Amino acid sequence: MTAIRVRELRKSYGDFPAVRDVSFEVAEGEIFALLGRNGAGKTTTVEILAGFQRADGGTVEVLGLDPYADRAAVRQRTGVMLQEAGFFPDLTVAQTVDVWRDFTAAPRPRDEALGLAGLEAKAGTRVRQLSGGEKRALDLALAVLGRPDVLFLDEPTSGMDPEARRRTWEVVLGLARQGTTVLLTTHYLEEAQHLASAMAVMDAGEIVAAGGMAETLSAQAGRVSFTLPPGVDPASLPLPVTFDGDGDGRRAVCRAADPDLAAQTLLTWAAGRGLRLAGLEVRTATLEDLFLDLAAASAKGGAR
Amino acid sequence: MSMAATYRLGTRLFWRDKTMLFGSVVTPVGLAVGMPALMRHVQPDGVVSATAMFQSAIALLLAITAFMNVAVALSSRRDQLVLKRLRATSLTDAQILLGQVASTATQTVAMIVVSMLAVRWLAGVPLPADPLLFAGAVVAGSFVLSLLGAAYTAAISRAELAAAYTTPVFLVAGVAAGAMGPIPLPDWLRPVLDLLPTSAVVNAVRTGDALGLTLNMAAWTAVGLVALRLWFRWEPRRS
Repeated sequence: MTAIRVRELRKSYGDFPAVRDVSFEVAEGEIFALLGRNGAGKTTTVEILAGFQRADGGTVEVLGLDPYADRAAVRQRTGVMLQEAGFFPDLTVAQTVDVWRDFTAAPRPRDEALGLAGLEAKAGTRVRQLSGGEKRALDLALAVLGRPDVLFLDEPTSGMDPEARRRTWEVVLGLARQGTTVLLTTHYLEEAQHLASAMAVMDAGEIVAAGGMAETLSAQAGRVSFTLPPGVDPASLPLPVTFDGDGDGRRAVCRAADPDLAAQTLLTWAAGRGLRLAGLEVRTATLEDLFLDLAAASAKGGAR
Repeated sequence: MSMAATYRLGTRLFWRDKTMLFGSVVTPVGLAVGMPALMRHVQPDGVVSATAMFQSAIALLLAITAFMNVAVALSSRRDQLVLKRLRATSLTDAQILLGQVASTATQTVAMIVVSMLAVRWLAGVPLPADPLLFAGAVVAGSFVLSLLGAAYTAAISRAELAAAYTTPVFLVAGVAAGAMGPIPLPDWLRPVLDLLPTSAVVNAVRTGDALGLTLNMAAWTAVGLVALRLWFRWEPRRS
């Protein structure tokens, strides 16, 4: 069944079109990532889906209901982690969770919520003393208090250290395994790749790549680059490469989903021939790489 | 999970905020108790003046503890995006606002009762002759002024300015109720000032006019609810 349905959604702020004709669907129990840079329209889309704003055009449905008109009914079954929202700074973490439990029908026990967010050790700390990442974790704890069927996560791991990010990913994957539908926005390609079973890339209010296209691009956006040793025929390399620049600065670039593995393969190949791969660089995929690829694909007329 | 939850939250936050307590409890109670106590000792007809002063000072308590306090609390929670977060829960807008309004009204009633007992003890002001009417006027006035304070946040552009924006309301309410001493006012202004909800409460406590109070409170409740519905902002202005 379809948990979230968005059709030709439009929203402007004054003359600025924040979202232009966006359509997508999220199946029940699926993790769907909206990937994009700041200002792409991700937050506006999430806020409309969560019932904070009314769409200017198009239709949105969450669990078969209009999230703006039927906000009360939709809220009983959804959890929302906003990109930006305040806490009561003088309450402790535990007090905050307790206050929110008071607002929630059949809430998770406090310790379970704190455990989920990895905040057990911070229970007695005032919210004003938390780091940005810890506040994000508390945000997550509050969003899942009511065991929602649909969870909206707007930039859930921004400001988190790598360990907290991993933990959050585990939590989100765990919830999805239990049947929770998750819509998340992120500008970390890695996050979308790790979590999402489907994704769409947004730019300037539009979806510029979706489905297989987005996945293919994101899967190839990791890269290994090096200076090709003189006299080596690129066709003899164990992995396909393209070339950046020209003349002496000419570098071979290998695209790969797992750039570490690709680098290893290339080095092993070079060692077996007594060659040296000078200036080897391994880079995990970034959103900017993906946009470069997208632009290239678009120039060839292959995008969308 | 309801208005009771936001009521409890509002009450808890009220008593936790030590700096705000000075403004919303110490100052108004100090005025409402101190001025009658002073009158008692400097005026020849001490108890009569003290009683009149205490009745006028109820307008100050309503303007500060109810109106100003809720306006400051809600506009700062709005600007800190706490109201937005509350809206991300399954609470309805009415539960969020009315729970807070009821909480502020309760604190205001408590402050007025404390002041009433204090002036009885310190200034010999007799307890209200009609306790039921007094209670009705104080409860209705506290609710209406809290409601209007919540609605007034729409006019407050930034939370830092909340106290500055509510000061004129406090001054007008005080002058209208005679709490600022005898100030000569033009004839046409008097009936206008009598329409203020604070004036209606003070007048009812003074004269026992229950009907005038009821009509006035009903009208201002309607004004407050309509204003909330039309203009209340849940998020800071984006600009």
